[in-house]
Amino acid sequence: MTENKILSVRGISKSFDSLSVLKGVSFDVKQGDVIAILGPSGAGKTTLLRCINHLITPDDGDILFKGSTVKSDRKSIRFFRAKVGFVFQRFNLVSHLRVIDNVALPLVKVLGKKWREAREIALKQLSQVGLEDKAASFPSQLSGGQQQRVGIARALVMQPDIVLLDEPTSALDPSLVGEVMRVIKRLSSEGRTMVIVTHEIDFARNIATRVLFMKGGSILKDTNPQEFFESASSEIRDFLTDLSSIV
Amino acid sequence: MKRAVSRITLGLFVAGLIWFSYFSVSQVYPFNWKVLPRYYKLFLDGLVTTLELSVIALGFAIVVGIVVALARTSHSVFLKDAGTMYVWFFRNMPLLVIILLVYYGFGSAINIDRFWAGVVSLSLFEGAYVGEIFRAGIEAVPAGEIEAGEAMGLYRRQIMFSIIFPQAFRISIPPLIGQLVSLVKDSSLVSVIALGDLTMRARQVGTQTLAVFESYIALALCYLLITSTLSFVGRALERKMVIP
Repeated sequence: MTENKILSVRGISKSFDSLSVLKGVSFDVKQGDVIAILGPSGAGKTTLLRCINHLITPDDGDILFKGSTVKSDRKSIRFFRAKVGFVFQRFNLVSHLRVIDNVALPLVKVLGKKWREAREIALKQLSQVGLEDKAASFPSQLSGGQQQRVGIARALVMQPDIVLLDEPTSALDPSLVGEVMRVIKRLSSEGRTMVIVTHEIDFARNIATRVLFMKGGSILKDTNPQEFFESASSEIRDFLTDLSSIV
Repeated sequence: MKRAVSRITLGLFVAGLIWFSYFSVSQVYPFNWKVLPRYYKLFLDGLVTTLELSVIALGFAIVVGIVVALARTSHSVFLKDAGTMYVWFFRNMPLLVIILLVYYGFGSAINIDRFWAGVVSLSLFEGAYVGEIFRAGIEAVPAGEIEAGEAMGLYRRQIMFSIIFPQAFRISIPPLIGQLVSLVKDSSLVSVIALGDLTMRARQVGTQTLAVFESYIALALCYLLITSTLSFVGRALERKMVIP
């Protein structure tokens, strides 16, 4: 059992000033898991995701990658990050680089490949998200949905063992959500291991293999989607009602 | 079309205004343009000195500016404060006073050439402004892009060189061109330490020929020519470097 654990989060805590955002969160991610993290605003979902790859340094707790603790020195974090894809809510593409160079950048800077070779690989990755014809464009010339697909291609090009997605569709126009959802759906059907912080119930219902429900800095429920949506817990019911009343 | 008409109208109006002023003045001041061409070599000499001074000072000001901007955006409180102090001092000190301090102050202790006193004064002074331009450029790079660099595993130095600096530089170009224009204009102040720049040469020609007004009109036109050329080239560069 232990050998197919990609990631273990062990007792992660984080406070900002006196505000305790994460209170000792633990969970495991196994090979092929697609985990949807749901919960109301301010539950600590995004902070948790950012703590995992050290964009935020946790106050306490450990991250284990394939069974061994990720140390906090520069080299270990760099190695770990190279194996963990991250997709941002607001895409965060590098604006002075063309789309293809955005995708090729980590190959060149982290893996030390030549630009020529990196661009070839990047182009293949772009065609996977249906954007090879946009390779020479700049990020600002793309729609939000296209930018996010580039963001996903950039995360995948490093052939990560796990992809973390931080509300990947929240910054998009409703009409552009579909194209990004389809890409993510395809990734899950290819057996990618993913952790998705999301407000899209559809992700949780149709893509996720597991749902983590967070509130107030803790995981209240760790279960499969079916059980989650049939849950009788008043907190989950309230959350789902709130969510559907927005839509 | 409408724009062209309004421009021609404005041009005619300004030309008329200049002609009227010139005509009025010429009633009391006997303009004598004939003497000026004989002194063109002095003007040329001054022009070359002004350009040399400006280009060298710009080079050093950019170096100073990079150091100041890096200090002010660094994580070290000491460097941050040092950078802030530098900017505070040189932005609150008239350039003329700096020139006097460097040339007559330090110059009386150590032997310092006029030209290099001018270069040092201008570089220190403009460096503070260039530093602020670069700092603004660095701070204008979206935090999310820096985060993306971290998340993909880049080292700090790689983030600086592949994400921050290329963008900060592009963002800095328009204000930097403006500062270069200021530098050329500011350089006229070095004439007080008898550094043979354009302004000092014009004064010389004026006193030698007694055609004072004529010399200064020629001087003004020279500066306009240099600064407009710089702005023009700058705009072309800006268009080329802009991120779509």
